[in-house]
Amino acid sequence: MLLLIQYTLIFASVLLLVALGGCVSEHSGVINLGLEGIMVVGALGGALVMRSLGTTSAFVMVLVAMLAAILSGMLYSCLLGVAAIHFNADQTLVGTAMNLLATAAATVFVKAMNTAANPDNHSSEIEYISARKMFIVNINGFEFNWFMMVAIIAVVLVYIFLYKNRLGLRLMACGEHPQAAASVGISVYKMRWTGVLISGALGGLGGLCYILAGVSIWKFENGVAGFGFLALAVMIFGQWKPTRIALAALIFGLFRALSNTYTGFPFLVSMNLPGNVYNMMPYIVCLIVLAFTSKASRAPKAEGIPYDKGSR
Amino acid sequence: MRKVLKNEGVQAFLASLICILIGLLIGYIVLLFINPSGAGDSTLNVIKNFLYKKPARQMKELGNTMAKTMPLILCSLSILFSYKVGLFNIGTAGQYVAGACASLYAALAWGWGWLPCMLFAIVAGALLGGITGLLKAYCNVNEVISGIMLNWIALYTTNTILATVKESTSPYTHYIDKVNKSALLPTAGIDSLFGNNNNVTIAVPLTIIVAIVIWIILSKTKLGYELKATGNNKNAAKYAGMAQNRNIILTLVISGALAGLAASLLYQTGYMRWECTQSSVPSMGFNGIAAAFLGGLHPIGAIFSSFFIQHITDGGQYVNTNFYSPQISDVISSVIIYLCGFVLFIKLTMKKWIAKSEEKKGAKN
Amino acid sequence: MGEEHKSEYAIEMLHITKRFPGIIANDDITLQLRHGEIHALLGENGAGKSTLMSVLFGLYQAEEGTIKKDGQEVKINDPNDANDLGIGMVHQHFKLVECFTVLDNIILGDEPVGSIGMLKKAEARKKIVALSEKYGLQVNPDAKIEDITVGMQQRTEILKMLYRDNEILIFDEPTAVLTPQEIEELMQIMKNLAAEGKSILFISHKLAEIMAVADRCSVLRKGKYIGTVETKNTTMEELSAMMVGRNVNFHVEKQPANPGEVLLDVQHVTVASKAHSNNAVKDVSFQVRRGEIVCIAGIDGNGQSELVYGLTGLEPLVSGNIIMDGQDITKASIRKRSVSGMSHIPEDRHKHGLVLDYPLEFNMILQTYFKPQFTSKIGFLRRKNIREYSDRLIEEYDVRSGQGSVTPARAMSGGNQQKAIIAREIDKQPEVLVAVQPTRGLDVGAIESVHKQLVAQRDAGKAVLLISLELDEVMDVPDRILVMYEGEIVGELDPKQTTQEELGLYMAGAKRDEVKVN
Repeated sequence: MLLLIQYTLIFASVLLLVALGGCVSEHSGVINLGLEGIMVVGALGGALVMRSLGTTSAFVMVLVAMLAAILSGMLYSCLLGVAAIHFNADQTLVGTAMNLLATAAATVFVKAMNTAANPDNHSSEIEYISARKMFIVNINGFEFNWFMMVAIIAVVLVYIFLYKNRLGLRLMACGEHPQAAASVGISVYKMRWTGVLISGALGGLGGLCYILAGVSIWKFENGVAGFGFLALAVMIFGQWKPTRIALAALIFGLFRALSNTYTGFPFLVSMNLPGNVYNMMPYIVCLIVLAFTSKASRAPKAEGIPYDKGSR
Repeated sequence: MRKVLKNEGVQAFLASLICILIGLLIGYIVLLFINPSGAGDSTLNVIKNFLYKKPARQMKELGNTMAKTMPLILCSLSILFSYKVGLFNIGTAGQYVAGACASLYAALAWGWGWLPCMLFAIVAGALLGGITGLLKAYCNVNEVISGIMLNWIALYTTNTILATVKESTSPYTHYIDKVNKSALLPTAGIDSLFGNNNNVTIAVPLTIIVAIVIWIILSKTKLGYELKATGNNKNAAKYAGMAQNRNIILTLVISGALAGLAASLLYQTGYMRWECTQSSVPSMGFNGIAAAFLGGLHPIGAIFSSFFIQHITDGGQYVNTNFYSPQISDVISSVIIYLCGFVLFIKLTMKKWIAKSEEKKGAKN
Repeated sequence: MGEEHKSEYAIEMLHITKRFPGIIANDDITLQLRHGEIHALLGENGAGKSTLMSVLFGLYQAEEGTIKKDGQEVKINDPNDANDLGIGMVHQHFKLVECFTVLDNIILGDEPVGSIGMLKKAEARKKIVALSEKYGLQVNPDAKIEDITVGMQQRTEILKMLYRDNEILIFDEPTAVLTPQEIEELMQIMKNLAAEGKSILFISHKLAEIMAVADRCSVLRKGKYIGTVETKNTTMEELSAMMVGRNVNFHVEKQPANPGEVLLDVQHVTVASKAHSNNAVKDVSFQVRRGEIVCIAGIDGNGQSELVYGLTGLEPLVSGNIIMDGQDITKASIRKRSVSGMSHIPEDRHKHGLVLDYPLEFNMILQTYFKPQFTSKIGFLRRKNIREYSDRLIEEYDVRSGQGSVTPARAMSGGNQQKAIIAREIDKQPEVLVAVQPTRGLDVGAIESVHKQLVAQRDAGKAVLLISLELDEVMDVPDRILVMYEGEIVGELDPKQTTQEELGLYMAGAKRDEVKVN
C-alpha cells in the first residue's frame, strides 16, 4: 500500500509538472504538443549531470541536475517558439517533429557518448544509481522524492503567477485575445515566448522526474512512453486551472502506479489479468475521462492560432 | 525560369528539396561533432543506401527498401487523407499496429489465406480509426491525444494477443512461411525484377493503385469536395448541409483502413515479424507524417517522399557503427518534419521573390 | 479651463500617406484635433478611417507625413507610445478579454504592482470606483466581461482610457452596438468628457449623431481628405454629399406588397444560447407570407443570430415548430431544408458563407454540388458544368474577381464575396430567403443593388426574412418589422407608420406589445 502511494505521488509529480508546463504555454496561446520531446531532452540533461557529477553532496546534486533539466528543456522548447510564434507553423506538426527528434537525437547522442567511452558499448543507456539515491529520503520504507516537493511548489508558483502576478495576467490575455493585449501595448510575441519557455522548463523537470521515478538506469531509445500526452490530458481534465490539474494528476498517477505495484495486492493478483492490462490502464482511463470532459472544454480562446499583427 | 517557378507544384517540390537538403546537412553536422573523420562517408552511405552494396546485390537490397516503402506510402496516405479534412491522425501508428495484429493473428492462429488476412487487417485499422472518429465527432476529444492513447492501447493489446502465436524460445511471432504459406502475399513475378527478392510482392502495384485512387477521390469526386470543404472551413461545410460527424468518422475510418493495409503489406511478406515484448509503437506510422508533409500532402508526391524517407532510414544501417548509430536517419527525417512546418513560409518567400522580380521586369519595360 | 496649451491643437496628423500592396489606404490626409473639442471623422466603409486611426495608435507606420502633439513632432511606433502621449481608443470591436473581470481588463497593460510584479488590485479598484463616479460610468469591477451587457462593456473601454489618464480619446463607431437610448447616454458622456478638457475623435458614418454631438467634422472618401467643416454651419445633405461624392437616394423604390399564403410559419420557437445558460430565443412565433419582406430588427445580441440558427438548422430547437410551405421542418437536416426551398445568406460570410481556399466556382455550388447537374451518378464532379454554371452567375450578378471562376475566394474583395453568396442563394430559386445583415460591410452602391434584389425576390412571390441591425435598412426595405429584444419579439411595426424613435423604444425594451400570432 505504501508502495502504491509512493508511486502514485511520484508519477503524479511528473504529470503535474508537465501538465503545468502545458497549461502555461496554452494560456499564452501556444499549444505545446512537443512536451513529450521536451521531457526526453530534460531527462537527458539531468542524466548527463548525474552521470558526470560523480561524488558530491546530495544538495548540490539535486540542484544542479534539476537546473540542467530546466535549462535543456527551455533550450529545446525554443524549436517550438521559433516555429510557432514567428513562422506561423502548424503547431501540431512541429510538436510531433520535436517528439520524434528528441528520442532520435538523444539515442544518437548517448550511443556516441557510450561508444566513445568504450568502443564495445553501443547501448543508449545512462546509469545513475548513486545519484538517484540523493533524490530520495527514506521515511520508514516510504521513499520520499524531492520532486514531490518540487511539484507542490510548482503548483503554488504557477497559481500565483497566473492569478496574482502582472506577467501572468498579461500572458493569459495573449492566449484569450491577443489583439486586446496588443492594443494596450503588451508584446504578444514576448508573452508567448514566456509561455513556451516556462513550459520547456517544467517539461524538462518533469522528464528528469520521470526517469528517476522507479529506476536507476534509463534507455533513451524508449522515450517517455506518451507521458507528455498524458500530461496534456491531465491539463484538459484540469480545465487549464492549476489546482484542478493537481487533482487530475493524482488520479492519473494512481492508475500509472498500479502497473508498477499491482503484484503487491493479492486482490488484484487473484483476478489474474495479464500485466499489459495494467500497462494500458492510464491510457484507457485517459480516453474515458476525455470523452466525458472535452465537450465543455474551456480552452484559451486563441490557442493554436498564430498571432497576426494585421488582423483585428 | 520565373514561369516555371510560378507553378504551385514546382514550388512545393522546391520547398521539399530545401527541407531535405537542410535535414541532411544537419545530420552531417551531428556526425561531424561525434567524430569528424568518418562523417562525410557515413552521410554519403545514408544517402546511397542500397547503392552501397556491390552491383550484383543492389537490386535485391533495393527490393528490401521497396518492401518497406509500400507500407510507408500507405501510412503517409493515411496521414494526408485525414489532414486534408483538417484532422491530424497521429493514431495512424496505432491503426498500423492493429492491422499487424489482425493480419498476423489470422495468418498464424486461424490459417487464413492472404486476401482474408489482408481484409481483416484493413477492418482492424478502420475500427481503431473509427474510435478516434467517434470520440472526435460526438465527444469533441482532440484527435491527437486520443490517437496517442489508442496507439499505446493498441500496442499492449497486440503484444498480449500475438504472444499466443509466438515462438516459445523468442519474443517473436512464428514465421508465416513455416506455419501458413498461403498467408504470404503473392509475388506475381515482380520479385524477379529485384534479384528474386521475394519480399517484393503484389504490394507494389497495389500500393501505387491505392495512391492513385486516393488522389482521384480527393480531387475529382463529390466526396473529396465535401471532405476538403470540411477541412478548410468546417462551419461552411455545416452551413452547406454536409454531414459533419459522418465525414469526420468516415475520414478516420478510411485513414485507419489505409494504415491497417500498410501493416498487412509488410508483415505478410514475411520480411518482418512482431516482437511481443516491444515497448514502443513502431515508427512506421510516425515516419508517415514525414513522408506526407515532405510529399507536399499530395498522394502522388507521397510515393516519392516515402521512398526517400525509407531509403535514408535503411541507409542508416550503413553508417560506420564504430562511432555512429543508425538512428541518425531518424534524426534526419524528424528534422525534415520540423522543417516542413516552415514550408508555407518558404513558399511565401518564393512568391514574394517572384512578385518582386516581376515588378523589376515591369519597371524596365 | 485655465490650462495653458503650447498649441491650439491637441493632436495633428499632417499629410499622412499609408500604402498597402495594391492600394493607397490614406492619401495625403490631414486631421487636426483642438483641445477640448469633439471632432467627428466621417467616411464610408473603406474610406480609410480605420487605417488613419491605426496610424495614430501606432498599429501601422505611415510612409509619409508627420504627427504632432501640442505642436511637437512625435513618433508613434506602437500602442505604448500612443499611450505615453495620452492617446486612448475605444475600438469598434471591443478589445476586452471575455473571461477576465472588468477590473482586470481596465488595468491590463498598466497594472499597479508591488515587488516582483505582484498585482495590487485594491489600489486599482479605488481608482476605478473614483473614476466611474466622477464621470457617471457605472460598472461592476468584479463582473466578468462575458456576463455583462454591451453597454457596460463599452463603459469598461472608456474607463480603460480614463484609468490611463488619456487626454485624447478616440471612439471608433461607438454607437453601432447600442440602442437609441444608450446612444443618447453615450453622447452625454462624450460631452461631459469634452467639458472636462478631454479632446475627442468620434469616428462614424451616421450623420445625425455627428450633427448632434460634434463641434467639427472631417470627411474622408476613398482614402482621400475631402475637407473639414463646422457642424453648426453645415447640413446633413452637405455632409452626405461630401462623404459619397454624389447625392444618394437613401430610399428604396418599391411597390406596395401583395402578400399571398403563409410560406414560413414559426411557432413558439425556443433556442438555447451558447454563451450563457438562459435560452437565447424564447417562445418566438411569427409568419412570413409569399410576396412580403419581413424584417427582424433589434440590437445585436438579442437572439437574432440564434433564431436564424434555429430556422436554418445550424442549431437544434429546444422547443417549438417550424412549418415551411406546409411541411414540418422542425427536425429536418440543414440539407433537407435547403433542398425544400430555403436559402440562407449568412451573417458571417467568412465563417459560414464561403470556403475561402476554394476557387469561386466551387463556392458557387456549395449548396447544390450534389445535384445531378454537378455530380455524376457514381460520384464524380462534372467540372465542365460547374465552370459553365459559375461563369453564368458571375455574368448575371456582376461578381468581379481577378481570374473569374478560378479565383480563390480569399483573393476577392468583401463586397464581391457577398455578391457571390447572394448570387448562389438567389439562383437556387428558393421559396423562403433568409438574409442576415446582407449589406454588412458593403459600400453605398452595393447596398442599393442588394436591396433591389431583395425586393425583386419579393415581387417574384418569394417570402423574404431580413435580419438587420441598420436602422435605415429596417425602415426602408421591409413590409413589416418585428422587433426582437432579449430573445423575444416585443413588437410588430409598419415601417410606413412608425418612426425611428418608436422603433428605438422597442429595441431598447422600453416598450412592448402583446404580439399576436395571426
